[in-house]
Amino acid sequence: MFRGILFAFLGGACITLQGVANSRISHDIGTWQAATITQLTGFIMALLIYLLVRDGDLGGFRKVKPLYLAGGAFGSVIIFSEVTAIQTIGVTFTISALLIAQLLVTFLIDRFGWFGTSKSKMGAAQFIGLALMIGGVLIMKL
Amino acid sequence: MALGLLLAVFAGVMVALQTIFNNRTDVHMGSWATTTWVLFMGFVASLACSLIFEGSRTFNLQQMQPWYWFSGLIGVGVVICLVLGIKILGPTFSVSITLTAQLGFALLFDTMGWLGLEKVAFDWKQLLGVTVIVAGIFIFKFGGKKGAKAKTVAANQ
Repeated sequence: MFRGILFAFLGGACITLQGVANSRISHDIGTWQAATITQLTGFIMALLIYLLVRDGDLGGFRKVKPLYLAGGAFGSVIIFSEVTAIQTIGVTFTISALLIAQLLVTFLIDRFGWFGTSKSKMGAAQFIGLALMIGGVLIMKL
Repeated sequence: MALGLLLAVFAGVMVALQTIFNNRTDVHMGSWATTTWVLFMGFVASLACSLIFEGSRTFNLQQMQPWYWFSGLIGVGVVICLVLGIKILGPTFSVSITLTAQLGFALLFDTMGWLGLEKVAFDWKQLLGVTVIVAGIFIFKFGGKKGAKAKTVAANQ
């Protein structure tokens, strides 16, 4: 249980660190270049781990819809947008807005069962949660 | 300001889509093969954009500091942590903690101005705002019917 909390917490810390590190690198070599290099080194590392642990099957891509396989390419515009946002409005505001948009879109996709997700109903709690999140962003900008 | 906000929202929308697409890929390939694939696609797309928008400046890397070459490892750390967190705690609790940590560290980075960020003076409004957002996240995730099941493989966020 404690280990789980630690992993989840460190994961979140690393996500933010990644955005900040990308901003730092972009400042020195350019944003597209930074996106290229971090994903190249990440790819090499992930490939090594995959070859080492051999769980799953890289060849399984034949069974995946091309649209889903192309999702990885979004990484380029995600990094570019996040870095530019951090450089203009700061880390806290960027991460807040990003997370709310992310949760809302994930929720809508689930709600309507798009992309083969199982439909889930929207409860009052989700509306209240979203309202609070948006309220939180407004408080920051008061 | 408005442009920054718009870009952050756009990034969030793309992360949501990518997470779902990655989950679809995960089913057939497993998490490490998926992560490898996703980062490769991201690398190719970024290189293409760099060549289109920056031309030969793409390879102008004199300003590189040694640690920049290792920054990609952070993304690999993210995948390991998220996969293990979800395995131990289940997605709802694990993702709520991850989102909270993301926001907490964002505030910390702004306040401390680490990694050459422009220091943003600590402001109680920021802390209050983050606290309210975290409360919203927990209500959203735990409230009533099982809502969004955001899952692993968020390699690029």
